Parts: sequence; structure tokens; C-alpha cells
Amino acid sequence: MSIWRRLYNWLVSLLWSSETNVVVIGLQNAGKSTLLASLQGSDFSPDTIPTVGFAVQTIVKNKVTIKCWDLGGQPRFRSLWERYCRGADAIVFVVDSADSDLLPTVKSELHALCSQESLEHIPLLVVANKQDLQPHATTVDEMIEKLDLLSIRERDIVCYAVSAKTLQNLDSVIEWLVARAHHT
Amino acid sequence: MSYKKNDDGLDRMTVFQECISEFNASPINPRKSRTLLSRLLYIVTTGAPFPRDESTQLFFSITKLFQHKNPALRQMVYLAIKELADDADDVIMVTSSIMRDATGNDVFYRSNAIRTLCRIIDASTIQSIERLIKASIVDKNPATSSAALVGSYHLLPVSRDFVRRWANETQDTVVANKPYPAALLIGRENTSSFGYGSGIAAFQTQFHALGLLYEMRSHDRVALLKIIQQFNGKLHSPYANILLIRFASRVLAEDPNVRKPMHKLILSFLNHANDAVSLESARAILAIRNATPQEVEPAISSLQLLLGSHRPAFRFAAIRALNRYAMSHPEAVQICNPDIQERISDPSRTVATYAITTLLKTGNNDSVDHLMSQISNFMLDIPDEFKVVVVEAVRSLAVKFPSKQQDVLHFLADILQSDGGVSFKQAVVSAIFDLVRFVPQAKAEALSQLCEYIEDCEYPFLAARILHFLGVEGPSTEDPLKYVRYIYNRILLENAVTRAAAVTALGKFLLVDKTGSVKTLLERTLDDSSDEVRDRAAIILRIATIPNKKIVADFIEPEQNYSLGALEQELVRYVTASDFEKPFDFSVVPTFTKEQENAEMLQAMQKATKSVDEDITQGASAAEKEQETASAISEKLAAIEEIRELGRVLHTSSAVELTERETEYVVTGYKHIFEKHIVLQYDVSNTLPDTILADVTAMVTPSEELNEEFVVALPELKPNSEGTIYVAFERPEDLFVSFETVLKFESKEIDPSTGEVGEGYLDQYEIESLELSVGDYLIPAFNGNFDHTWDELGNEASATYALEVPTIEDGVQALLKLLSIQAIGGTDHVTEPASHTLKGFARTLEGGSIAVVARFVHSAARGVSVKLVARGEDEMLTQLVCEVFE
Ligand SMILES: Nc1nc2c(ncn2[C@@H]2O[C@H](COP(=O)(O)OP(=O)(O)OP(=O)(O)O)[C@@H](O)[C@H]2O)c(=O)[nH]1
Ligand SMILES: [Mg+2]
Repeated sequence: MSIWRRLYNWLVSLLWSSETNVVVIGLQNAGKSTLLASLQGSDFSPDTIPTVGFAVQTIVKNKVTIKCWDLGGQPRFRSLWERYCRGADAIVFVVDSADSDLLPTVKSELHALCSQESLEHIPLLVVANKQDLQPHATTVDEMIEKLDLLSIRERDIVCYAVSAKTLQNLDSVIEWLVARAHHT
Repeated sequence: MSYKKNDDGLDRMTVFQECISEFNASPINPRKSRTLLSRLLYIVTTGAPFPRDESTQLFFSITKLFQHKNPALRQMVYLAIKELADDADDVIMVTSSIMRDATGNDVFYRSNAIRTLCRIIDASTIQSIERLIKASIVDKNPATSSAALVGSYHLLPVSRDFVRRWANETQDTVVANKPYPAALLIGRENTSSFGYGSGIAAFQTQFHALGLLYEMRSHDRVALLKIIQQFNGKLHSPYANILLIRFASRVLAEDPNVRKPMHKLILSFLNHANDAVSLESARAILAIRNATPQEVEPAISSLQLLLGSHRPAFRFAAIRALNRYAMSHPEAVQICNPDIQERISDPSRTVATYAITTLLKTGNNDSVDHLMSQISNFMLDIPDEFKVVVVEAVRSLAVKFPSKQQDVLHFLADILQSDGGVSFKQAVVSAIFDLVRFVPQAKAEALSQLCEYIEDCEYPFLAARILHFLGVEGPSTEDPLKYVRYIYNRILLENAVTRAAAVTALGKFLLVDKTGSVKTLLERTLDDSSDEVRDRAAIILRIATIPNKKIVADFIEPEQNYSLGALEQELVRYVTASDFEKPFDFSVVPTFTKEQENAEMLQAMQKATKSVDEDITQGASAAEKEQETASAISEKLAAIEEIRELGRVLHTSSAVELTERETEYVVTGYKHIFEKHIVLQYDVSNTLPDTILADVTAMVTPSEELNEEFVVALPELKPNSEGTIYVAFERPEDLFVSFETVLKFESKEIDPSTGEVGEGYLDQYEIESLELSVGDYLIPAFNGNFDHTWDELGNEASATYALEVPTIEDGVQALLKLLSIQAIGGTDHVTEPASHTLKGFARTLEGGSIAVVARFVHSAARGVSVKLVARGEDEMLTQLVCEVFE
């Protein structure tokens, strides 16, 4: 390859490659780490280790690099979510649809986060995960109602029914994330 | 890059802000980040740490760097996290990220990650890394294995019990013999030219594993013995073998029953191919208490060989070991004198200095002459701190060989004129002071030398010291007026500080001066420009006119001086008590006569020359530490209101262990005697890693009926922490009372995985009782004129005992501690193994005297026995002193 060709390629890549920073949060056991693994194309595994603190995962999709900050959902890490959400391009909030008992807690955590001044206007994707666990799984409409998502304003907000196990709707998630990317 | 501004805080702020903004940027520039991290590391490792909130901010921005996979950056991130781990909050946040590196395939990531992981883990998360650590310890790669082993040392304080769970893996690693793969040795110094053969880095894991195993089991002597037996002969790493020797040496010191096998084991390493191992073996042999000359001899020869090593570190280690041994056993080291002599010209000045101080100890009357002339040349080209070492060694010579006082004095006078810093000059001047005090033949000439020196002494405070000394010692010489001229010259030529000292010194000559010239000279200073100088002159002149000559003499030449430390303490107490109705009571401050002071100094000097070596290498001496704990104890006492109200502490006992050292609660006791009360102090240490004790108190039952005045209990005792309980009683009439003690508390367990504190239950724990004994009524005191006191004292009692101690030295130490008496004239130092006489002196709480002469005899057939003779004013107490061993 001639040096000019290389230079040309580099310039093109500069124009087209882009990066996005996404923070993935939600209560423990919601399936955050599993979801990210599935998005990366790994096989589903039923036993995972809880995330202690955070881990960074990178997903590359058509020249878009998505950096995902996978945060731990145990109560003692929740106060630290805000630190990592600050300045992020998008927030993904994962909910375990099969455990409706937890929804009140989910609701209060979610609303507390959305009321933070530092996180104003950051787009939010609520993932209703574990849809494969029928018939108990909460549907998207029920989720919108139970979490009172309509009251959250002044930011992009969507809610998808997803299964990290059956890969249901994962492409929509990716699409949504890619759309948040900005060119570098 | 400039770090110069680190001190004024400017650069700190810049680095802080640059870090925060750079690490939060997107995308990250790894090169720039790495440079910033290295600056940050420089600041936190050389200056004060950042405040907690700033450290936390830094920590969180550093965690953002985990998004970048650049290995050079990641390495720096790990170093920075380790450094900040103790200063920032929520460091646990990086656990999952680190775990990924620690379990990944990249070896370089892995060992760094494991080391860092061990620094951020706490009791609630340690469980989650158990599998990882176990697997890493037995990993084939030695770098990974070492990282996990060394990391585990840091986990011990977090949870000893947890770390013990990987004892098997650790043990397997000791014998696994993992050589370092050649690839990892690239860039290291060529190992064979370093002299350890292939041994130094190879088998490193063995050393790390053995060390960890020891930490896991160190509280258990039997287990330690097993480790020694199990691994002896199986170790390849020289470091591991050195460790093994140290273990053996420790077990030997603690348990006389295994002396033989341990000595044999240590001896087997003496001719080891690796010099470091053989050196350690020799040192261990010399450290054996009461080693026979036959046992010591091979160790000395082996050190003698090492003196000729081509590596300076070994020559240094050898001469240092010999020097230390020569302090107590000069005759055993004498055999090496020719080789040590050669070391005086060693290219390493450190080795040469030690060689000289050793020779000064082992030399005899004849060899000293030659040595002194050699040292004079040598002194010119060594740094000050070594000069001080040499001066200290010479200092004791004059006392040891009085016939050499001339040479010693000339030597000191010569070097006093040479170049050198203030600490060196001070050492020389102190050495000359000693000659004046302890070698009467040298007095006049030594004083003259000091007079010469102050003519051009560049340090005012040193000049002031000398002037004071001339004032104290000058008047009692044959021709006192000789010194007056020198002193008066200072008044003409010097600054105010020196002039004031000179005036006071001149005043001391008033009494011996029959010509009246001293008075005239003093009168001339009455119009000095400095207030201090004028005041001093006026006071002395005024006092000299008092007709009662006794008062004048008491002022100018006091027979008794106050103990300054005690005086200060009493004054502080008086001022803080703020009760100024009553005048300050001087009678509570102990006083010393000049003889007592000198005797104390002589003893201090003998001690000082003994511990020169330790002072340089290890900082504070044992005596200083003892002093420190004593004042820490009394400060703690004084901090408690109820106890302050009891008045002055008349006596505090030494520490008494009330439990075994390896139990879950370790308790040390002290007895404090007040005029009308006694206070028992219990220092309780909770060694359990996951139990909180609440409302800890002591139930004390005295053996005779006594009023309990109050208890100062402990509201809470956290895991692995210490606290103190005080219990006060009225002071018993009977001298011997024992106090049975039970600790009572509520015990609450902490769940190691969640950190939650569970329900408590009441528990109690019986400890040994504290007993008042005769030593609690005696205060060790110096006595410069022991033989005279002994003859004066009326009541005598005596008793003979067979002691269950291995040596006379142990017997002496036991007696000093039990009776709380002061050894007089260095008689606590045992020179002959077969017989020894200890002289001891103490004051009673009422100020009376107790003198003791103890004659120890050691025979193979009957062990150690002692004949105790005690004399004192108080008949009963004297009798009780003799019953100390009953
Ligand atoms: N059936 C089913 N199980 C899932 C799904 N997603 C996750 N899980 C399971 O849910 C459990 C928890 O998953 P994780 O991904 O570890 O949960 P997390 O949100 O990362 O938890 P923390 O890290 O503790 O906050 C695991 O046993 C997963 O196998 C899903 O879509 N369907
Ligand atoms: Mg997770």
C-alpha cells in the first residue's frame, strides 16, 4: 500500500469512526453484565459473578466504538452511579422484568438518578430484560406505567423489551446506542 | 519536567487539576496520561498525601483510564491505585476491572493486577478473591505466583483467618521449585556475575511462600518447628534458606528444649556455598545466648573469611557482626585482629570505621597505642557521622585503660582542632568532659585543652556548655585562677549568649578567689549591653555579700541538683492543676548529688558505647523505648479526670502479661501506686478479626477486703484494636494483695461478607490475677556511693535460693525486674558465667533506702543459685525484699 493510500484511509477513518460512552446501571441481578456479553456476541451463561464496582466493555459496530461502563447494582455501589453517568453520552437502565416485587425499588432509584442536575438531558434507555421468562415477565407497557416513565421529561427516553438470553431485540438496543454516537 | 515547586503547593494543584481533566477526557491520550500519573506518583510518594476528598476525586478519575488497553498506561494505573488505596474512599470500585486483568491471559497485566487487588480488598470482599489467589499461587508462572504470595502479606491484616485458607497452596509452592524463566530475567544484572550463581532470582517464589507460611503460623511455635523440619534441606533459594535460619534462631531463643537440634541445623549452613547464607548462619550462632566459646569459634572463623570477600557488602556485614559481638565478648573476637587490622585501609570507609571501633574493643594495652596513631590519619577522610562513631569508641578507652589517658587526650585535642561539623565537635567535647570526670590524672590537662578550644569555638551553645563545665570543675583544681583569664576573655570577645554563660562560670570562682580579682572582673560586666549578662552578674555579686556563708555556698556550688525531667513534669502538673493558693512543693522533686550524677553518666556512657552500633543502624535504643512507654503510660493516666484527682503516682510497675500471647484477647496489666490509692491498668487487645466487644469492663476481686473507688470501662473495642480499662482501689495496708480479674463484655460478630454487625451476647474471660509484690513499693535509684551507704544502713536480712533459670544473666534480669532496683556500677552486666555479684539500690515510696547485694553462682550440678543480702532503714521491708523469690 502506498503511503498516500494509507493517508487517505486514515483520513476516511477519521471522518467516519466515532465513539460513544454509555453507562449501564440497574439493580443487582438485573442482567447488565450478561446483556453486555450478549451484545459482544458471547454465549449466554446462567452463572455470573456480581460486578464489584465497575468494568469497561467495548462493543465495536460498523466503525462505531461503544464504551460501556458496566456498574455494579448492589446497594453500596448505587451512590456511585452518578459519578460515572456524569458526561456520558447515554444511560442504559436494565430492569429484571421477571421480578415485579422489585419494581418499586427500581422506580425510586431511577427517578432519583433522573433528578440529578449533573445528568440533565442525557438520553435514557430502559431495558426490560429477561423477557424470555414468560409468563411472568412485565411487558413494556406495564413497565412504562409501573416505573412512571412518562413523568420523566427533558430527555430522550425509550423502553425496550429485551432478552439477553434469546437475544430478543438486541439489534434495537445496538441501533439506539449507535445513534447516540458522535463523530470524533 | 520540573518538580521544584512541589514544596510550595503550586505544582501539586496543577498536577491535581491536570489529572482530573485529562483522565475524564474522551478519548484518552495514553502517553500524556502516563506522564501525568508519574508526576502524581512523585508527589504522593515524596510529599504529604492529598486530602481525602481530593484523593477520592483523583482515584475516580484514574478509574476512567481502565477504558484504555495500553499496557504501559495500565501499569502506571496500577501503581497509582496502590498508592492512593489508603487515602481515597470507595476504592473497592475497581475490583471487577482488576479481576478481569488478574484472570486474563496477559502475564504482565496479571501480576500487577493481583498486587493491586490485594491492596484494595477489604474484609467484606476478601471472599470473592479466594479462588483467584489460590489459583495464582500455584500458577506455573513464577511472576504470577510471587504476586499472589506477596499480595497475601497485605491481606493478613484484613483477615488472617482467610489468608490461612491458602496454607496448602503456599506450602506446595515452597517445594515446587519454580525457576524463573529466562525471558523474565532479561534486563536484570547478569545473575552469575552478581555472585549468587543462578540462585538469586531463581526460586524466588520459594522465598515468598516460606515467608508467607511463617506469617500465617508465626503465633504457633509448634507449627513453626514443623515448618523448619519439613523444609530443611529442600530449599534452593538462598533467601529461603536465610529465612529458615532466622526461624530456627527464633525458636531456639524461645524454647531451650530445642536448643540442640536448632543449633545443629544453623551450624549446617555455616559452610554453605552461598556467602549470604553462611553469613546468616554465623550471625545466628553469635546471637545464641550463652553460646560456649567452642560453639562460637566456627562462626567467628567464618566471619573472618568473609572479611576478605571481594564484595564490600559482605565485608561490611562481617565486620558489623564481629563488632557487635566484640561489645560483649571482646576476647572471642581477638583472634581476628590481624584481619580486622587490614580492613582499616578498606576502600569502603564504612568497613574501615567498623574495623577501628572493633579493634578499640578487642585491643589490649599495647596495641592501643599503635591503633591511636593510625586513627588520627584515618579521621581526616571520613564523613562526620563516622568520626562520631570513632570518638565514641575512643571515649571508653580512657576509662578502660587509665594509663592511656595521655594518648587519648592528645588524640581528642588534635581532632578537636580539625575540621568537622557540630555533632562531631560535640562528641569530642563530651569525650573530654568524661576524662575530667572519670580519670582524675587527666583533669588539669583536659580542662586546659577545653580552654584553648573556646578561644576559637565556632558554636556559641557549645562554648556555653564548656564555660559552664569550667565553672563546675575549675574551682576544685589546684590552680583555679588559671581558668579565670580564659573565661574573662570570652566576656570581652563574644556574643551575648556566650557572655552570659561566662559570667555564671566566673561566679563559681568567687569562693576560691582570695585576691578579689574575680569580683573586680564581675563588677566590670555590670554595664554590659545585654540585660541577661548584667542581671547574672548583679545577682552573683549581691549573693556573695550575704554574711551567712552556707547560703552563699549553696547558691554557687549546690550539693544537690534537681532532676530536671522530674522538675519539669511536676511544674507542668502544678500549672495545669491551677491551684496557686498552695506554693509549689519542691520536696517532691528528686535530687541528685554530683557523685550520683556522675555515676549515672558513667553508666550511661558504658551503655552508649555498647550500643553505638545499634544507634546507627536501628535508631532508638531499648532504654529509650522503655522511657517512651513509661511517659506514654503516665500521660494516658493523667488524661483521666478521676485518676488525676488521686494525686501523684508514686510508682508504676513494669508490664505484666495476664494472658498467653496467642489468645483471642491479649491483656497486659500495670499497677500504679498512689499515696492513698492503687490503680490497676488493663491494656486489652482484641485480636479477633470479626468481633466487636462492647462495654468491656473488669470485675476485680481483691484477696482482702478493699473499697473499689471507680472503674473506667471501655465502651467499645473494635476488631484488631486495643483499649485500656482502669480500676481504682483504696491502698491496702497489707503489702501483698492479689487481684483476681475477669473481663466482662458483650461480644458482637461481624459478618465478613456484608460487614453487618450481628446481635451481641454477654461473655466473660478470666485472666491471670495481678499481684502486689515488694517491687511495687520500690523505686530504682542511683547511688554514687553505694559501699558507704551499705555500711551506714542498719537492718540486714538475707536468704538463699536455687533459681530455675538457665544462666546467671537471666537471674540478674529477673531480680532487677522483680525488686525494681537499680543496678549500681554496671553490675547488671555479667562477665563470668560461673559467678557474679550484683549490687542494687532503690528508694522506698517514703524516701528511705534499700540496698541489695546478690551473689550468684552457677554450677552444672545445681544450676543457678543466689544469696541475697538486703539492708535498709525499714526492718519489715528489708525482710520482705529478701523473701522476693518465695
Ligand atoms: N433467563 C434469563 N436470565 C438472565 C438474563 N439476563 C441475565 N440473566 C441472568 O441473571 C443473573 C444475573 O446476571 P448479571 O448479568 O450478573 O447481573 P448484573 O446486573 O450484572 O448484576 P450486578 O453485577 O450484581 O449488578 C445471571 O444468572 C444471568 O444468567 C435473561 O435475559 N434471561
Ligand atoms: Mg454485573
